[in-house]
Amino acid sequence: MKYTTFSQTNNDHLAEPMFFGNPVNVARYDQQKHVIFEKLIEKQISFFWRPEEVDVSKDRLDFQALTDSEKHIFISNLKYQTLLDSIQGRSPNIAFLPIISLPELETWVETWSFFETIHSRSYTHILRNLFTNPGEIFDDIVVNDEIKRRAGDISKYYDDLIFLTQLWQTQGEGKHVVGGIEYTVTTRELKKKLYLCMNSVNALEAIRFYVSFACTFAFAERELMEGNSKIIRLIARDENIHLTSTQHILNLWAKGKDDPEMAEIAEELKDEATAIFMQAVEQEKQWASYLFDQGSMIGLNKEILCQYVEYIANHRMSAIGLGQPFEVTSNPLPWMNNYLNSDNVQVAPQESEISSYLVGQIDAEVSADDLGDFEL
Amino acid sequence: MSDKKECFEINVIGHKTFQYVKNGSLLDNLEQQKIEVHYHCREGFCGACRTKLVRGEVEYNTDPLAYFDDDEILPCCCVPTSDIEIKVT
Repeated sequence: MKYTTFSQTNNDHLAEPMFFGNPVNVARYDQQKHVIFEKLIEKQISFFWRPEEVDVSKDRLDFQALTDSEKHIFISNLKYQTLLDSIQGRSPNIAFLPIISLPELETWVETWSFFETIHSRSYTHILRNLFTNPGEIFDDIVVNDEIKRRAGDISKYYDDLIFLTQLWQTQGEGKHVVGGIEYTVTTRELKKKLYLCMNSVNALEAIRFYVSFACTFAFAERELMEGNSKIIRLIARDENIHLTSTQHILNLWAKGKDDPEMAEIAEELKDEATAIFMQAVEQEKQWASYLFDQGSMIGLNKEILCQYVEYIANHRMSAIGLGQPFEVTSNPLPWMNNYLNSDNVQVAPQESEISSYLVGQIDAEVSADDLGDFEL
Repeated sequence: MSDKKECFEINVIGHKTFQYVKNGSLLDNLEQQKIEVHYHCREGFCGACRTKLVRGEVEYNTDPLAYFDDDEILPCCCVPTSDIEIKVT
């Protein structure tokens, strides 16, 4: 089906599925099929922040005092996060927007991607402060084998969906030969690609950031690189809300609350979805080995980090009905919770007490009881 | 939040039973009792504290945005409105 930027079909958008219905026409939010996305947009916007608001100047001195193995850990994590947010800053837009059918979901995806671009800009902010020439760090991202291996696995599912969508939009359903390879385009096949892609994105948001978050917060526990830690806390808060959105999408499908065909596909591809998650867990463990291959850092080692990945994976897999495949039951890094608590996130002075301020929000309900102990 | 007079009992399966203290969320109460519950945001949007509600009723003081199942609750932003039985993992 050819994409149109303003479909003139007079459709009832409340009857559309999330994906592969009619393209969105009017960007209206007065009524919603899935109100959760509108709520996530509001919450995410209330979290708006700018990297420049966080002072990272003290980090330069801290960084110079780190051991070589600690520098390797710190910089490698920043490279990996830069990769993840490079992908997430564009891919949800390119892959999902052309096939979305609900205005609230369309705007959610745009809001989500926009925040990933803030994250990307914050890495430049951090690196510019640490190095006179941060260019070498960025240049290494496309040549570093450890990072490239992960990039391939993450972008594969997006790329498959994007390519098949392009074929469908330009040539329609059927068999098409491109570059000597025959592709079968059916709605069912497109939906399968979408389902796998959403699972891969969900796994990314659920666990791929956490090895790196743990290292950052372990430095902060020693009162090192605290500017960086403040930025990563803001990023972690955003990633948690992004994860919530992909969990909602997957569960809306699986529980038959959206497109009935997606419920069938969720059942049919459950093993593949589990494999995507398990592969992400495995890669994160390998990443932990790579980080610590030149020596460890105080408060953290490879084993405990791998246990933490398993612990987080149990939680995140059970949230989408994939069970708890790992044995670890208690949190091996309990102090992580303090850094992920949104009340401990501070940015600008006006937010120093509560991190999510919604401008103009007033509690207009005053009952007589509230004035009970008031005397003239 | 409703202003109920009764004292509610919280039974955490495999741990203990205790009285709900009215200030604070269910999560605050569990922490006071030294029962470990995973948490991140404490505002209902991340879902890290997702817990099974076996019996009883709760109400939310913040609109929970995170995904949780029909038989689950988010202790970080709810309070019991009856005796409850929960299962923490």
